[in-house]
Amino acid sequence: MDNRPSDPKKEDYAIFLKEITKTFPNGTVANFGITLGILKGEVHAILGENGAGKTTLLRMISGILKPDSGEIFIDGKSAKMRDPMDASRLGIGMVHQHFTLIPEFTVRENVALVLAESGWLDLKKVDAKIVEVSEKMGIEIDPEAKIENLPVGKRQLVEILRLLCRDVKILLLDEPTSVLTPIEVDSFFRIIRDLKSSGKTIVLVTHKMKEALKISDRVTVLRGGRVIRTVPTTEADEALLASLVVEGLAAPPVVKRGTPGDPILSIDSIIVKDDRGRTAVDGLSLVVRAGEIVGIAGVAGNGQKELVEAISGLRRVESGIITLSSQDITNKSTRFIIEKGLSYIPEDRMHRGVVLTMGIHDNLALKCIERPPMSKNWVIDRRSMINYAERLISDFSIKASDPCMSVENLSGGNIQKLIIARELSNGGTFLIAEQPTAGLDIKASEVVHQRLIDLRSRGAGILLVSSDLDEIIKLSDRICVMFGGKIVGEFFPENLDLERLSRAMLGAE
Amino acid sequence: MSDRYVVSRGTKRSIIKALLSVLLTFAVTSVILLMSNVNPVLAFIYMFQGAFGDINLLSETLVRTSPIMVVSLGLAVSFKCKVWNIGAEGQLYIGAMLGTIVAIGIGGGLLSLLCALFVGAMGGLCWAAVPALMKVKLGINEVITTFLMNFVGIYLVQWMISYPFRSPDTYFPESAAVPASSALMIILPGTRLHLGVALALALVPIIYFLMERTTFGYKVNVVGENPEVARYGGIKVGKIVFASLIFSGVLAGLAGITEVMGIQYRVRGSLSPGYGYTGIVVALLGNNNPLGVALSSIFLAAIMNGSSTLAWAMNIPMGIVDLMQGLLFIFVLASEPFIRFLEGRGVLRL
Amino acid sequence: MIEWAILVGVAAATLRVAAPLILASLGETVVEKAGLLNLGLQGAMLVGAFSGFMGAFFTGSLWLGLVCCVIGGTITTLLYGVLVINLNLDQVVSGLAINLLAGGLTLYFTRALFTGGVAPYLQELFGPMQIPLLGSIPILGEIIFSHTGFVYFGLICVPLISILLTKTTFGLRLRSIGEDPVIASYLGIDVVKMRYVALFIEGILAGIAGGLLTISMFNTFDTRIVAARGFVAVSIVILGRWNPLGVLAGSLLFGFTEVLSLRIGILFPEISSASTNQLFALLPYLVALIALIVGGRRVRGPASLGKRVGRE
Repeated sequence: MDNRPSDPKKEDYAIFLKEITKTFPNGTVANFGITLGILKGEVHAILGENGAGKTTLLRMISGILKPDSGEIFIDGKSAKMRDPMDASRLGIGMVHQHFTLIPEFTVRENVALVLAESGWLDLKKVDAKIVEVSEKMGIEIDPEAKIENLPVGKRQLVEILRLLCRDVKILLLDEPTSVLTPIEVDSFFRIIRDLKSSGKTIVLVTHKMKEALKISDRVTVLRGGRVIRTVPTTEADEALLASLVVEGLAAPPVVKRGTPGDPILSIDSIIVKDDRGRTAVDGLSLVVRAGEIVGIAGVAGNGQKELVEAISGLRRVESGIITLSSQDITNKSTRFIIEKGLSYIPEDRMHRGVVLTMGIHDNLALKCIERPPMSKNWVIDRRSMINYAERLISDFSIKASDPCMSVENLSGGNIQKLIIARELSNGGTFLIAEQPTAGLDIKASEVVHQRLIDLRSRGAGILLVSSDLDEIIKLSDRICVMFGGKIVGEFFPENLDLERLSRAMLGAE
Repeated sequence: MSDRYVVSRGTKRSIIKALLSVLLTFAVTSVILLMSNVNPVLAFIYMFQGAFGDINLLSETLVRTSPIMVVSLGLAVSFKCKVWNIGAEGQLYIGAMLGTIVAIGIGGGLLSLLCALFVGAMGGLCWAAVPALMKVKLGINEVITTFLMNFVGIYLVQWMISYPFRSPDTYFPESAAVPASSALMIILPGTRLHLGVALALALVPIIYFLMERTTFGYKVNVVGENPEVARYGGIKVGKIVFASLIFSGVLAGLAGITEVMGIQYRVRGSLSPGYGYTGIVVALLGNNNPLGVALSSIFLAAIMNGSSTLAWAMNIPMGIVDLMQGLLFIFVLASEPFIRFLEGRGVLRL
Repeated sequence: MIEWAILVGVAAATLRVAAPLILASLGETVVEKAGLLNLGLQGAMLVGAFSGFMGAFFTGSLWLGLVCCVIGGTITTLLYGVLVINLNLDQVVSGLAINLLAGGLTLYFTRALFTGGVAPYLQELFGPMQIPLLGSIPILGEIIFSHTGFVYFGLICVPLISILLTKTTFGLRLRSIGEDPVIASYLGIDVVKMRYVALFIEGILAGIAGGLLTISMFNTFDTRIVAARGFVAVSIVILGRWNPLGVLAGSLLFGFTEVLSLRIGILFPEISSASTNQLFALLPYLVALIALIVGGRRVRGPASLGKRVGRE
């Protein structure tokens, strides 16, 4: 590459990475020979799709992971960081995609956690620092507020505030906008620009091209763990970046809309509480028809999780009625609801979707173990289980050498295929797909999308819950926006008013 | 078959784990024996002879195996479900007491025996049901509650054999003897080998079938490995947890009453030298696999019986059994990461 | 007036009997705040009792016995630490293993070291410490200021542990580990070190809690001497909501039931007989179970309590 940086000692670089390689114990090469310079006082976007190695790179700069080979220079000096504290001493701070705030603690305690040096907690000093920094940032934060009671957008600001309380010079942000609505993103970018003008260096990891173009000074594209190219943002456009991010991608197929039939799932003003006993779903009503994909858009934490759990019988419904295929399933057992035709692709596939230590055949039989041919009168027919597994492995092209091998030996994409195979072969008439492509690469995502569309064409109703707005818009026949436990707006993907949609997601509609 | 390959890999692992921990236990015990100026090799030879030396000693070892095996087969089911019942000792005593009362109440004969066995099992069930309900309904850790229930149960039985159900004709606090006609038959004349031992052995394939070939076993497995997946898959987790805990109670109660009907004929304070705790070690050493549990029970029973020979031959205190149990437990636990470490280094390939 | 004297006696005895529970459950509070559920507390107390006795017996010095019980207790909790921190094993099973090992070791060495396999009696015990002025206050002096140093130590530890957990940086960091060890390590907190420190504190307290049984309360050692105190202490932590003051209250409740079960004959002569007196031995455990049913339902402890740290 022509503009490849060469002199790590040059003082202009806040960070200089030299030939960084990182391989994980399971053999995945996350980063390979990465050489990259980040200039002082710039906003540098690192762009790439899921699995391109962006997060791994940030974690090495912030001292959480150690590179296998290569060298990291901070301010022109070689830095060997053993843990995040070393990075912190060098003025580096990271905002993780999953926040590193303790939800049980107050803002003050969370800040004190990283500020405190002496043995005694000096909360007054902490408060003073919080006030000082929040004024500088132009935001208002109550030091005594418990994190778990703050909205997600606010939590992110607390994360950044905490870094600034430590006089961080280099901020590493991992997908900072994934939890924000488009409007919140604007005000967040304003804060980023302020930080830049006060001399901070900002590295921002994202998979959204628009954001990279909007906020950054330079963009580096990562693909398959390697640096593809670094370009000044002024010289880049979407077409160029897209061609760098993905190699040889065909234009996404045009999705044909469905033809909705009779209602399959009807929800009538249900109230559901979250783990802490607060109302999470607040009098919500919703109908999903046969042959229809209804997308639930919304900022995470607005009751989507509780809604899904209420439908699938995993969470108590305080009041209201849910019917599936015209049968009352309110507060019925999960077993009953599955028998009435519910299929469910859960968001947390490693913890809810599969038993990692059990075989593929065991996992595929999870929902039909009590029916013939899997079992008769409580006695399991292992041959049938294995035959069934072999069939689904070939039907859904799951890469597995043996139908009985432990699921923990499968890749993430294949585990998702396994779950989809199980849920789509269960004879269900209604499917909940929760973040069905999170963590998958573009090709695997495309396969999942096609499966969902096929299912809809066969007349099933689908409730798609996703924080990926692009996915929602691409697949849904109807989009319902969820905010504060209610459906606050209904949109159709044709002539979509994005502005109105984001206002709805913020509860301003 | 590919199917068999996968099974054998896990089995191989657990066999290596068990052998490794037995080996380490013997090694550390040797060191302790050396500290007491005892030749460990000689000691273990005495131990072996004491356990298997002649037909009589062998039959005694099998007699000793029976309660351990029954208790630990039950515990294996609850442990598979990751329900840690450490209250088998109390369940065993309550089962023995209630069964004995029924056996004496009915008089003699087969009916008396069958009712005693049934009531004994139910006694264990009830004693396990309290912590089971507390876990499922109130979310209270079963380890704490089953352990506390041991104390309530054992003090209760001690009181019962001291006062309301005390045998009128003996000096020590103990219950009256069960009618001879209701006792479990001796199956090898000249020894104390009784029908209960055969029943215990018969339980091994039954539990194996239950765990490997029934939907109950499947569900126990899923709940134990990942209760969240179980709930999502429509398995009623509370029910399975409850069932597995009371199931282990049933077998513990059965072990208690079998011990009365087969060997001791009375309930005494010394009915169980800690079978409920030995069962925990046995279940883990056998990797909760019925066959492994069966072999481990024989092993522990051999140590127990062998150590009494050791006691008079070399003046080694009986506490050596408890010591070896404790060591075994630690080593079984630690052998898992150790084997993983060896595999990681490529030293061991499984 | 006799009634009054009995009640004062019961109150004083309650405090005395509660002392080992206070110490043990305070120690458990500290480690549970760090996310470790140490059911091996029972074993640590047993080893404390054993090593305290051995130290006092073989050196002839109670003070060296005290040193030994601290050493024994800490070795036991640190061994638990090796299992759950370094080897990342299941916390519950590791605790059970520690208990069984402690039971086996102490039983074997008691049998091996003493003729007849029974530990002899100590010549002297730590007796009550007279506190000059406070001890002469009527009633209150008798109830609170008539005890051994262990009782005062336990009482002083309540505010000390409370301050440690809420007012110091160490406590804040410890609590953050209990909520989420992964986040804590991202923030640069040394989770392994902090947890070992917590276990060390617990080891000291549990060792003393066990030791005081042999070198202050009873004057010999038996493997059943700890009874179920370790598990009762774990229950107390739940009932006390991981709060030192709550732990104190819970310990006093259990101390009281223990005294009640021992003195039922003196307190209620009407129902007393050899039979009922023996039956009442199970009272403390029954009360513990009932207290858990009433006060232990689905309480929210530290979020990561009992969980294994996932491999990333």
